[in-house]
Amino acid sequence: MKEEFLLGNGAIALGLLEGGCHVVTSYPGTPSSEILPEVIRLGKSEHLNTYAEWSTNEKVALDNAYAAAIAGKKAACCMKQVGLNVAADSLMSSAYLGTTGALVIISCDDPGLHSSQTEQDTRLMARLAKVPVLDPSTPQEARQMAKAALELSREFKIPVILRPGIRICHARQNFSWETLKDGDGKASFVKNPSRWAATPRFRMSLHGELNQKLKAISKRFDRLKPFNEHTLGNKMRYPFGIISGGVPYSIVRDLFIETGRTDIPILKLNAPYPFPEKLAAEFMRACKKVLVLEETDSVIEYFLQDRKKVMGRLSGHIPSEGELVPQVIVRALNSILQNLDMETIPIQEYPEIENLTQRLNLPVRKPTLCPGCPHRASFYAIRKTNPKAIFTSDIGCYTLGLNLGGVDTCLDMGAGITMASGFYHAFYQDKVEQPIVATMGDSTFFHSGTPGLINAVYNNARFILVLLDNQITAMTGMQPTPGLGIRADGSPGKIVSLEKVVAGCGVEFLEIVDPYDIPAMITLLKRAKEYVTSPEGGVAVIIARHPCVIADRKNAIPESRPVTITEDCDGCNFCHERFECPGLVKDDTAGRTFVNKSICADCGICPQICPKGAIIGR
Amino acid sequence: MRPLNFILSGLGGQGILFMTKALAQTALRKGFPVICAETHGMSQRGGSVISHLRIGDVQSSLVRNGTGHFLISLDETEAYRNLRFLDRNSRIYVNAHERNFPNPESKPILEEMDIVSRSLPAGKIALEMKAPLTANLALLGFFSAYDDGPFTAPEIRETIHRLSPERFREINLNVFDACLQEGIQRHSN
Repeated sequence: MKEEFLLGNGAIALGLLEGGCHVVTSYPGTPSSEILPEVIRLGKSEHLNTYAEWSTNEKVALDNAYAAAIAGKKAACCMKQVGLNVAADSLMSSAYLGTTGALVIISCDDPGLHSSQTEQDTRLMARLAKVPVLDPSTPQEARQMAKAALELSREFKIPVILRPGIRICHARQNFSWETLKDGDGKASFVKNPSRWAATPRFRMSLHGELNQKLKAISKRFDRLKPFNEHTLGNKMRYPFGIISGGVPYSIVRDLFIETGRTDIPILKLNAPYPFPEKLAAEFMRACKKVLVLEETDSVIEYFLQDRKKVMGRLSGHIPSEGELVPQVIVRALNSILQNLDMETIPIQEYPEIENLTQRLNLPVRKPTLCPGCPHRASFYAIRKTNPKAIFTSDIGCYTLGLNLGGVDTCLDMGAGITMASGFYHAFYQDKVEQPIVATMGDSTFFHSGTPGLINAVYNNARFILVLLDNQITAMTGMQPTPGLGIRADGSPGKIVSLEKVVAGCGVEFLEIVDPYDIPAMITLLKRAKEYVTSPEGGVAVIIARHPCVIADRKNAIPESRPVTITEDCDGCNFCHERFECPGLVKDDTAGRTFVNKSICADCGICPQICPKGAIIGR
Repeated sequence: MRPLNFILSGLGGQGILFMTKALAQTALRKGFPVICAETHGMSQRGGSVISHLRIGDVQSSLVRNGTGHFLISLDETEAYRNLRFLDRNSRIYVNAHERNFPNPESKPILEEMDIVSRSLPAGKIALEMKAPLTANLALLGFFSAYDDGPFTAPEIRETIHRLSPERFREINLNVFDACLQEGIQRHSN
């Protein structure tokens, strides 16, 4: 038996391998990023023949996994919840076509917005696509569900979604397992164009088939212990009961055990769609009032038709945004219990200490680019040369260029380019030549940059695009990119040249620069500006190439260049406002800036930006 | 048994995850069930970072306000930010100078709740020992000196020995030991 202290994402990886999963694809995104590396690590240590890839985006990942699943394999595809938006086209269609093997889509939700742009609830995507969804309460259950989802998918020939919340993905617990074995079955594909290439005429009957599958699965979910079960006593009636699923269920369960509360029955619905009608009806009959505790949106609550009985988000009893952390749940519960004249949950609250923290008015700790980050130098040069530009940007570490005044917009993956062309045309329509500088990372460009760039070139847009090429997907934990040419398992892949892709999109101004050399970058940005505004101009692309200082310190800072700050520093704040390096610390009593030696990366960039010449190399 | 709740806080990059792992694995080796909640992603770039560590038979990873037994913070401001997690009779171990923490505004409230706070300038000590990234080990050593939880100093030390990569092992243990001694001395005075 083997034992390890695994992240929830590791437990999911373990569950997939225990289920005999042959193929796993993914695009990194918090909180899902560790699933694929854990599949590879565990697969290697168990000598499994598992194929795993970082795909260029979530739709690409899902299509790849889907093909395996109709070649009879067991496949899984992992992403964050907003990644499923990118893959939505594949998801909706694959539900109709079905599978021959198994397809599990793992879409990790982020209630509380720890690292995402929306609090969307993947269970609603499952409802929209008409595919079953499983919602684990604990890492251990996530492991069991990964395996169960593969089995369910293969049995009913339907894609199945596993939706772990961030508290599952980034929980850590001890796990043990027996030796893992490869899944059974060889790849085979039986041609059947009326299914696999179905035209609208065939799609109607496929839709009917899908509805039949859902009916059968709903019945299965009525008795899917331990994922769906209740604590009703035989023929008992209750004034109040709770229906819950996912992470909130584990919180309520722990709260009731901690306080010895046994008079409130719970219906656990961790397989909420297709809705287990019979099981829910049985619970509803036994309770006079029911509270629904689910994250992040309302799914179960919508399926409960007796509006007079049901309390939850729709009735205003549960907050409509934010994470359902334990104190939110216990407060909502106690206010309901009070209204029902029932005994409340005895918990200690210390308002004086909560008030104290509010009174202290603590500074918000903004995330910042790391000391030595090449993006900081790029943003400095961009602002310096284009003070009046609109800065469209994108998703990655460089979103933190916000703090440097180098980011005005961030919509979704790829919008750094598409919004730049959108702004250009909006202003040009009014004969205004608005300067625009777009920024985008290399991984994001490979993810969804090319369609927007082709569109911009084709439609005669004019702006500067700076591709911040640090040759890694940094924010999500240093996953390799096609530009690096290393694959998910560390083996060599073909290097896809960023500059060739950009040139292939029809871009005629294309230069590469090392952003550590700020004067060179400034010169180039000025040339790009001339090109954009010249009669024959268009989109100018600058690739600012320098390795990530965290991923590849040796090549990022080949030679240590420590700095000191002389008496010439008059505390003008310029470096803090425009450069914002955590290594430069303002001492308010001394009225000047010092170097924090313990975090300074010795990159030697800041002497290039101090207007007083007070930062000098040694 | 009632769960024992730890909150570990600080800023991204200070090694909160390592500190969490060290305590969790020590508990595991003693046969206690453990669940942790970690911070990954955006906040790791220098933002507020918090880990929840619960020892006991629980399924949920988050500590409820007012139920924390220990707050171990690598940053003063983050310690204040997370005070709400603490129960009566709890303990704070913080990377700060003794004369600064707790501040005059907090002191009476902490005293009223019988919350004991112990400060060590862990970052400064780590820097003096030429290992600026080991403030987490300094604070762990200091915490271990008080024998103030379900595990002993040698048990925590053994976990650090196991978890440290070869090239950092010696310095990690040196920093841990130095602050363990510092704590023991203060404890006995």
